[in-house]
Amino acid sequence: MQLIKLNDHLWEIPQHGAMLVSGRIYANSRMIEELRDDPALTQVANVACLPGIVGHSLAMPDIHWGYGFPIGGVAAVDAANGVISPGGVGYDINCGVRLATTNLEFKSVEPRRERLADALFAKIPAGVGSEGAIPGLDRKELKQVVTEGAQWALRNGYATRRDLDHTEEGGRLAGANPDRVSERAYQRGAKQIGTLGSGNHFLEVSRVDQIYDRDLAEAFGLREGCVTLLIHSGSRGLGHQTCDDYLKVVGASMARYEIRLPDRQLAAAPISSPEGQAYLGAMAAAANFAWCNRQVMMHLSQEAMMEALSVSPGELGFALVYDVCHNIAKFEEHIVNHRKRLVCVHRKGATRAFGPGHPVLPEALRDHGQPVLIPGDMGRYSFVVAGLETAMRETFGSSCHGAGRVMSRHRAKAEARGRDLRSELEAVGVTVRAHTRAGVAEEMPAAYKDVAEVVQVMEAAGVTRTVARLKPFIVIKG
Amino acid sequence: MMAARSTPQNECEAALYREFEHTGDTGIELAAPTRGELFRRAAIAMGSMLVGRETVSAKQERELTVEADTDPDLMHDLLAELLNLFVVESFIWRDAIVKEDGRTLRITLRGEQFDSERHDFRGEIKAVTYHQLSVEQAADGWHARIIFDI
Repeated sequence: MQLIKLNDHLWEIPQHGAMLVSGRIYANSRMIEELRDDPALTQVANVACLPGIVGHSLAMPDIHWGYGFPIGGVAAVDAANGVISPGGVGYDINCGVRLATTNLEFKSVEPRRERLADALFAKIPAGVGSEGAIPGLDRKELKQVVTEGAQWALRNGYATRRDLDHTEEGGRLAGANPDRVSERAYQRGAKQIGTLGSGNHFLEVSRVDQIYDRDLAEAFGLREGCVTLLIHSGSRGLGHQTCDDYLKVVGASMARYEIRLPDRQLAAAPISSPEGQAYLGAMAAAANFAWCNRQVMMHLSQEAMMEALSVSPGELGFALVYDVCHNIAKFEEHIVNHRKRLVCVHRKGATRAFGPGHPVLPEALRDHGQPVLIPGDMGRYSFVVAGLETAMRETFGSSCHGAGRVMSRHRAKAEARGRDLRSELEAVGVTVRAHTRAGVAEEMPAAYKDVAEVVQVMEAAGVTRTVARLKPFIVIKG
Repeated sequence: MMAARSTPQNECEAALYREFEHTGDTGIELAAPTRGELFRRAAIAMGSMLVGRETVSAKQERELTVEADTDPDLMHDLLAELLNLFVVESFIWRDAIVKEDGRTLRITLRGEQFDSERHDFRGEIKAVTYHQLSVEQAADGWHARIIFDI
């Protein structure tokens, strides 16, 4: 794959073959050398073939080989003439991250971390088998969940108004159509509200160990040494099934719309088509399920923290910093070729990162830019960054979403054989509770890039500003 | 494409399928002397990716019928049905019998109800992807390549 260096942190795949635009990859020289033979670059080129794509087929520095889109991929298509690709959102619709701060100091919680880890582990199920975090919901209630998102959690005592204000889209994506979600998807999600899932999903108690921008940290409520809670999860079986359902529907429609793409997983239909509209209604429904899921998990975590640490709500001082989604397609206005256009931005393993002054940001954050949450691996650190104006000009208001894997799950399991990873993590001050042994092995720190390097590329490119670093001391894995 | 490596869990599973290197998710390759045996091995492989096969007993049977126009679609739909059986009905299997009837597969699974206390759960599979999905006949038999979203 031909790569042209545009500057120290941006590379271009020139338009060729069926590509409608060029590809652009944010990476430093070291990262790009590792990527040269990676299928992820072909995936960037494949995405550039989507009808209606504008700007460039983009990849963030946490790019790695996915299915259809690369992980870390961003593609904006014209809202009137473009296509929607369920594979460009992925199976875990609205997989995302939320971060909450507390009044607690690390030094006061650290001596009780085993107890806190046990309490969180007991309270937040992985969601496999018959277990559920909250009583199973009937179909009528599930349809309300997918319509209302986190607002359902507010109505049922699992959220505050402030939580919703600090959630992307207010925790409710417009256009959800509960009748476009299949019976099977409802069955898969029925008992999974408030459950973590497995794979790379986690719940982490961390401390703010470094502040890079005092003003932004203060605006986001982050103090050095304060205890935070980070949750990474998505729409569970309901979202997974919705994507699977619509890959079939959309895939079957492509011949009719004369759409030809190099990878079946990229299947796409015109946004305006019945198939495209049906998917968008179902996708929004699954996205709302995910926001409700993360909100309920945060509420349960708050209860676990109060019980385990014997603190009142006032002493805990729980406050949501922000909730971001990183697998989604959303209609947004962006400047394309000097003209404001409504586009549908697909973010597959990429996070919205709107700059200061953007009208969709809540008043408390509007002057500062959107908080963007970038989890690293469980042994090192995660970052909080803020969106900048450059993101609006160059990346359709998008940034990276995590460290990005460098090692397959298979190889990680092989590397972990014979090692006691939990003890190794305990030795560096991280207490791990996991529902599966494989979950810890596959997610071992060495399986990931150093997230600091990923964040540095985004900062060097002017896309985000680094605000604070979080260091985990309790990790709950599915 | 990086080289395939043997699946580590145990000898029995290594004979059924091999995991290949895929950075984001999990990919497996299967080979079998016949088409029916290929689908049978795929079914058992998925079961053992979900739950350690040695912890599952063949106490009950479940039957499924899957129909699709192409062999890759048949593979996708079979595994998607099996995933649903595990997630929604909590049924896990250790063995399978496959009967072919043109574009239709009839599969009988032998297993039991999943019990998180007793079974070695290995982690969720979110979906069976279409990315690089292949089912092909070669001179030495049948081959399949499947990538799962984990």
